Order: sequence, then structure tokens, then C-alpha cells
Amino acid sequence: MAINFNQVGFTYQLNTPFATQGLHDVNFTMPEGKFTAVIGHTGSGKSTMVQHLDGLVIPTAGEITIAEQRIVPTTKPKELNKMRAHVGLVFQFPEAQLFEQTVLKDVMFGPKNFGKTATEAEAAAKRALRTVGMAEKYDERSPFELSGGQMRRVAIAGVLAMEPDLLILDEPTAGLDPAGQEELMTLFARLQKERHLTVVLITHQMEYVAQYADHVVVFEGGTVVKEGTPAKIFDDVAWLQEKQLDVPIAKQFADKLATKGVTLDAVLDIDALADQLAEQLGGSAHVH
Amino acid sequence: MFTNMIIGRYMPGNSWIHRLDARTKLILSVAFIFVVFFANNVAGYVVAIAFTLLSILLTGLGVGVFIRGVRPLMFLMFITTLLQLFFVQTGDVLWHWAFLTITTDGVTNSIAVFVRFMLIIMFSTILTLTTQPLAVADAMESLLQPLKKVGFPVAELALMLSIALRFVPTLMDEAESIMNAQRARGVEFNEGNIISRIKAFVPLLIPLFINAIKRAIELGDAMEARGYRGGDNRTKYRVLTWQKQDTIAVIGFIVFTVLLIATKWL
Repeated sequence: MAINFNQVGFTYQLNTPFATQGLHDVNFTMPEGKFTAVIGHTGSGKSTMVQHLDGLVIPTAGEITIAEQRIVPTTKPKELNKMRAHVGLVFQFPEAQLFEQTVLKDVMFGPKNFGKTATEAEAAAKRALRTVGMAEKYDERSPFELSGGQMRRVAIAGVLAMEPDLLILDEPTAGLDPAGQEELMTLFARLQKERHLTVVLITHQMEYVAQYADHVVVFEGGTVVKEGTPAKIFDDVAWLQEKQLDVPIAKQFADKLATKGVTLDAVLDIDALADQLAEQLGGSAHVH
Repeated sequence: MFTNMIIGRYMPGNSWIHRLDARTKLILSVAFIFVVFFANNVAGYVVAIAFTLLSILLTGLGVGVFIRGVRPLMFLMFITTLLQLFFVQTGDVLWHWAFLTITTDGVTNSIAVFVRFMLIIMFSTILTLTTQPLAVADAMESLLQPLKKVGFPVAELALMLSIALRFVPTLMDEAESIMNAQRARGVEFNEGNIISRIKAFVPLLIPLFINAIKRAIELGDAMEARGYRGGDNRTKYRVLTWQKQDTIAVIGFIVFTVLLIATKWL
């Protein structure tokens, strides 16, 4: 599902004394079937934008196109129900959405709401649970008995079970241990490739952006300040530092080497960096 | 969904009313509920309306905010007014159909009830709009001090109240984010018949309760870890002080009460 924002603005509590601007003049395009990363500071409008992608809020200005669905300020919330069935949205700390008596029932909740029969929903739920690595023995457990990491997986399975075409991930790995973070990211990257999903990832971790993203959108102060490939975004180190955004470690290392006279092709990925170095040092290609 | 609620919300400002001691506002708001019943003729209501309007103007927030604040309660007010209209059977009959009768007394009573309701809500809204919830809790603690003599746990009650107030916005935010997460999973909160609407709230309420209990346990642990003990000899960061303006406010209120009672003989 290709996504386009055209001059989108959103004001919270419009026409009240509490009115505050969330987004203004937002323009970007997220290509279909690609992995798009959204970066920017806390409070830069990333999460507000994400709610627009699922029709949870309606813009107060501009126009959004998601696949064939057009959303303008006069769009009625009801018109977006159909679109929502094709969009999977994993919120920050999604384990807060668990409520059912068993893990399986909770994961079946989404597909059932979108019109699947109980049998279909159960099959989809089981597939999703296995995909996120939850063994069958957990199916009949209460989600509240699980560990934090397992709850996170179950909540993500609850979204994957809807079998969305567009998967939106709002800091899905926040608060997990490094191994858990790595596993989840690998899972998302694999799903994206296998199912040709359009993935939108909000993150603060530039390593993941460098490693997985095809396209990057940078938010600041409620609007988009830069958009492009990771190579383009990470090329201007001074600009990134000015925006207080991290530079991927491989890029930092390569830049340091460059000051010592070692020239390498532009790299963002540690593995690619290692390959280049191995080649220059005359060693064998490094094994991934 | 919750963001448009005015009731119970504090709106920052620096008006004369904002600066009044929370105890003054609390006592006067409660007193107003009783005093307003002295009004029993047109002159009385004019005085009561004038006093309420004056107080509203002194908050510097604008009348519009208060009218919006009353709106969610319109339904309740409407029902009460209708009940008065049809159930008061004294006075001259104005209209009669089947078992329904409207009398002159019914009309005057329903108007009186409507105005009273409106005034009381608006006056209480002044308290909540201009006073930080924690200041209200402090004021209550201060006013309940005498009950300590009979062994009433005033400090604990005040602590409970301030914690409850402190977490209202947090719970609201959380409710909103859980609602969004469930809407993303296909829940429609405002559609379908009454049964399906009630059912739609289960996936909201269960996580909300679980998180609230978890948070309460964590908060208790954190307080104990820092050696919290309630009650005696605890000093306060915010100290309530009675000032000249509070005396003026109380005198103003007494003048209003006397005027209101005086209208009886008009």
C-alpha cells in the first residue's frame, strides 16, 4: 500500500482553548512493498502521523492517500473501517492491549473483528503466534502470566494475525533486551521480504534504519524536514548532529578511517564495512 | 473522546479567583449550593445569576468555557426539568392530554429547577477550573483537621485523594492509547446497538484496570523505598495561606447571601 501525505496538518482539540498543533505541512511518499523508517525526536510528530495511517485520527488539513483510500478533513471515521482491516498497527508497548483470558483468544480478537469466522481466526492466530516464536504450549495460558518479552510477542502476533498489507511499527523493540530487539527486527525484515509488506518503522535506533530501511522520513517540530534513502540521509553528518540524530556506527567508523587516509565506499552496514576492510587488508571475505 | 471534557479540568490563569486560597473557594462553592435555595422569586434569581456571572467574569476565562462545561450535563438537566413540568400538579391547569398535565406551578418550578441546576454547576466549575486538583486536596485536608481529634485518618484520606487526582490525566491518556490500539484491531466504540457498545468496552477496561493496579503497587513500593510515612509532623511543599483577598471574597459572599435573603420581602 503506497502512502502519500500532501500538505497534511493536524491540530489537537481544534476550536477549543486547548488547541495545539500536532502536525503541519507534512509531505512525503512511502513506496509500496518497501521498508520505510521514520525518525525524529520525541514530540516531533511521528506518533501523531502514525495514527493517521490507520485512520484513527482524521487530518484537520491536507490530503492523505493510502492505496485507493483518500482521507481529507471531511472524511467520516466510518468510511475508514474497511481500510483498517488491511493495516496492522503495533503501538508503543503493545502489551497494554492484551485483555483476553488466553493468548490464543487475544490473538484471534483482531481477525474476528474484521469479519473472519472463528475457525479462520484461530488458524490465522496460530500462524501468527508461531511466526513470532510463541510455542503452542502458551496458546491456552493467560497472557498476564507471561514475561514482558513474551507479552510483547503475543501483542505483535495479535496484529500480524490480521494479515495486513501495511504494517506500522511504533518503536516495537522499546524496553526489550538487546537479543530480543535483534530477534524482533530480524522477524520484521523477514516478513517484509517474504510477504512484500509495506512496513513503516518508527525508531530511535539508527542502526536499524541503516540496516533495514529502503526509505527514510525525518520529522522535526511536527513536519517532515528530510526524506530519502538511508545513504542520502546519513550522508550529511553535520546536519544529523545539528538535528541531534545519531550516525550509524559503521558510518562513524568509516569516517574516522577516512581522516587517517583509508578510503572506503560509502557504507552504513557493519557487514558491508567488514567486507570492504577485509578486501583492503588482503584477507578472505568475511563470513556473515 | 475525553479531550473535550471541561468538568473537573484545571485551566491555568492568574486571575483574582485563581489566586484565592483553595479553602475559600471550596467552602464558598459548597455554601453556594445551599444559599442558592434562598432564591424563590424573580428578584432572587436575578441576584443569584448576577453573582454567578460576576464570579465567572472574575476568573478571566470567558463565559464560553463555562457554557461548554455545562453541555455534557444538559441531558440530565433536561430530564429533571421535564419531571418537574409534568409532576407538579398544583396551580392552574395550562394544558392537559391523557395522563399528562402542565400547570402554572409546574412551569415556574421547572424553570426554577433549571436555573438552580445551571447556577450550581457553573459555580462548582469555577472551583475546578481555577484551582489545581492538588490544591483542592490540600484544602480538604486542612478543613478536615478537626476530625483528627476523633481518630479520623485525615492525612491518609488526603493522600488517597491527591493520588487519585494525580492519576486522572494519566489514566485518561492510557485509556486513549488502549482505545486506539483496540480500534486498530477492529473495535468500534461508537457503533452498533447498546449491547455491542457495552461489549466494546471490555477490551478497554480490563487492560486499564490491570495497569492501574500494577501502577498502584509500583507507586506503593517506590514510596516505601523512600521511607514515606503519612500523618504527623509532615511538612508541605505548598502551604495554604489565608490572605486579605480571601477575607474580601468571604465578605462578598456574605453580602450576596444577605441580599438573596432580602429579596424574599420584595
